[in-house]
Amino acid sequence: MLDRKLLDRVLGQVSRPVRYMGNEYNMVEKDPEDVSIRFAFAFPDVYEVGMSHLGMKILYHLMNEREDTYCERVFAPWVDMEEKMRENRIPLFTLETRDPVSKFDFVGFTLQYEMCYTNLLNMLDLAGIPLLAKDRTQQDPFVIAGGPCAYNAEPLADFLDLVAMGEGEQQIGELLDLYGEWKKKDGDRESFLRQAAAIPGVYVPQFYDVTYRDDGQVESVNPNTAAAPDRIAKRIVRDLDSTYYPDRMIVPFMDIVHDRIVLELFRGCSRGCRFCQAGMIYRPVRERSMDKLLELADKLVKNTGYEEISLSSLSTSDYSRLEDLVKQLMERFRDKRISLSLPSLRLDSFSRDFIEEIQKVRKTGLTFAPEAGTQRLRDVINKGVTEDDLVRSVTDAFVSGWNTVKLYFMIGLPTETEEDLQGIAGLARLVTDCYYGLEREKRQKGLRITVSTSSFVPKPFTPFQWEPQNTMEELREKQGFLRKALRMKHVEYNWHDPELSFLEAVFARGDRRLGAVLLSAWKNGARFDSWADQFHMEGWMDAFRQNHLDPGFYAYRKRERDEVLPWDHIDVGVSKAFLWKEKEKAGRGERTPDCRVSCAGCGIRGTWEGIC
Amino acid sequence: MRFVVEYTKEERVKYISHLDLMRSMQRTIRRAELPIAWSRGYHPHPVMAFASALPVGMTSEGEYMDIHLLEGMDIPELEKRLNRALPKGITVKQAVAVDEKVPSLMSLVERADYRIVPEDPEWDWKPAVDVFWSKPEIWVEKKSKKKVSSINLKEAVRDIRACGEHNRELFLSLPAGSSGNLKPDLVVDALLEGKDRALSFCRTGLYLRKDGKWVTPLALGKQEGGIG
Ligand code: SF4
Repeated sequence: MLDRKLLDRVLGQVSRPVRYMGNEYNMVEKDPEDVSIRFAFAFPDVYEVGMSHLGMKILYHLMNEREDTYCERVFAPWVDMEEKMRENRIPLFTLETRDPVSKFDFVGFTLQYEMCYTNLLNMLDLAGIPLLAKDRTQQDPFVIAGGPCAYNAEPLADFLDLVAMGEGEQQIGELLDLYGEWKKKDGDRESFLRQAAAIPGVYVPQFYDVTYRDDGQVESVNPNTAAAPDRIAKRIVRDLDSTYYPDRMIVPFMDIVHDRIVLELFRGCSRGCRFCQAGMIYRPVRERSMDKLLELADKLVKNTGYEEISLSSLSTSDYSRLEDLVKQLMERFRDKRISLSLPSLRLDSFSRDFIEEIQKVRKTGLTFAPEAGTQRLRDVINKGVTEDDLVRSVTDAFVSGWNTVKLYFMIGLPTETEEDLQGIAGLARLVTDCYYGLEREKRQKGLRITVSTSSFVPKPFTPFQWEPQNTMEELREKQGFLRKALRMKHVEYNWHDPELSFLEAVFARGDRRLGAVLLSAWKNGARFDSWADQFHMEGWMDAFRQNHLDPGFYAYRKRERDEVLPWDHIDVGVSKAFLWKEKEKAGRGERTPDCRVSCAGCGIRGTWEGIC
Repeated sequence: MRFVVEYTKEERVKYISHLDLMRSMQRTIRRAELPIAWSRGYHPHPVMAFASALPVGMTSEGEYMDIHLLEGMDIPELEKRLNRALPKGITVKQAVAVDEKVPSLMSLVERADYRIVPEDPEWDWKPAVDVFWSKPEIWVEKKSKKKVSSINLKEAVRDIRACGEHNRELFLSLPAGSSGNLKPDLVVDALLEGKDRALSFCRTGLYLRKDGKWVTPLALGKQEGGIG
């Protein structure tokens, strides 16, 4: 049992104690005595980041619909809280009941980005759960992970009992059903894992042996038991309308990163950008119907009291009835003064009228993501945005009263040259020209253009999974080049830390040997690595040295076609042959049309006949 | 229509900040579907005002806010709707209709009372309180955002008493509101002379002066013959 008085005293001494308080509106309260399965949903970052995440909202309420299960939340305690917890021997606890996570049946982590991995280790350690799966015994929870990084969870293989591939709505139910049965019979851990491995999309890392060649490449990945399938295929839900979506969401007291109702319009993306992992792993596109969305919006507004609705999806403007939907939502909620926000909006597909319409709703900055500075490179990455699109959209936007434009680019993309970098500055200038090209009375004062570059990180399951990343030096040089090239009036330039991008690249395409590096880095004090003020590269480099692994092997090496990739035993539905074909087309600068225009034969159609 | 609403902030939500509370109340009012008056601007929010900010970590038995509705409403109905929509741990105790001309609560409130209870079951406040009264003056540093100033607690404190069983509870009555504010931890630190204690703080009420008497903001209600 946790000493609640002690915890209370500690909360009085840390920054933002509300992070650990819980008790928000719509938090689910159950008596733990009434359930047979306790699931700690763990987000390996702070509360305000984790609570912004849609997947967590869905699965939390979904699991709590079950009478036999209580799903509770736990986040990574910030460094000051961690210190106090260790000092006072307070184990990691959930927000709902403040019970120690170690006594739960499951601890489920969602992996949204690579740089949260040390937080996962730290949370297990704070919970008093053995870090290595092989050290866990009957009393310990099963540690399970899902989310986009789980598709290549190899660097975490030593720490995870189970990995859930794909969309969890159906799978989690099957897993909990199985667990309920198993628990009644009092079987051993291994027998549960064996049975779980038979659930489609469930991956049990310890049931696979990995062998390596002398040069360090993976030689083979083979199941070591008949209970495990050769390949693990991701799960998807076929029909979103009949799939669970919460009609209430927790309304945090604290100001979180995305503090609003989230309506998920569709899953997947039909554009086929070659660098984008989400665009590949979430295929195929499945839309929620407009009627369903309106119905959900009504309930969510009523049940949360939120003042804003965000229409969220990978490429929101591709929703087939977006204009209609936006108009209807605006009409419906006008009296309630509820605003709409449309992230990742691609204005290339909109009419001027529509831009004016949404402008009434929300007058924040306009974002545009050409990703690359020249048409040549945009063709290489299959990003279907042209200079004309940009000119038309920003001009329309300026006329409609906008004066702030954000431009997003990636540097270090395959085949990039100085001309492409110059092109980034060129586009910033073009936007400025569009603005001054308008008569003075037609535009708002105070033009502001923000150019942001992220650094390309080759990701598994993309056509660029074989490509080397630029070295940190190259990226720094390119950033230096852009700093000079973008020294223009009204323009501000932001860039990403190359060291973080480097580590991301290492772990994104990592294999199991990196587990030891994670452990060493964590022991060296690494946590909250995605927070600039907490990140220390030395600890990481030291961890690679300690384990005699060269990070450059993972980040900078070009892979050959026949190389066995550490994630080849995972099947996301998109074939390796298709990815290779796309890589070759990229080399030739050839475009692949949007799935809505024609099917490129990515392999999805074979698996999910009828939805694609 | 203007209403003054009295509510509590209980143990389970005591770590929310004043800003958190304001946001939460706005959303509560939306959930309660009250015919609310809206602020102007791109992001309109319900028009409301609070009597006094409650520090993070403190519970309260009597907080007050002002809300404005476009139409009249039955008081019991208003209370019921708010309580249904509030997060657990915040409870509306009572509401009264108030004349629009009454000045803001913030400008009227002049006094706040607190009850401070230590975790230690054996603790006795009496010796510390006796020392406090025996000294002619007690100067402490008061830090605000802009400056540090010195104040004499003997003058500033309205009342201070050990009470409850075995004098385990401390009762503090301090100046509050825009006319001058004194935080209870400043006084408690002086009483404990720097020693660290596990204490829980509860604000037991906020008061204003009316006809020479201390009353709660509920006394501004029309039926009680409020000001204006
Ligand atoms: S099967 Fe064809 S249409 Fe479907 S996602 Fe793949 S490429 Fe696009």
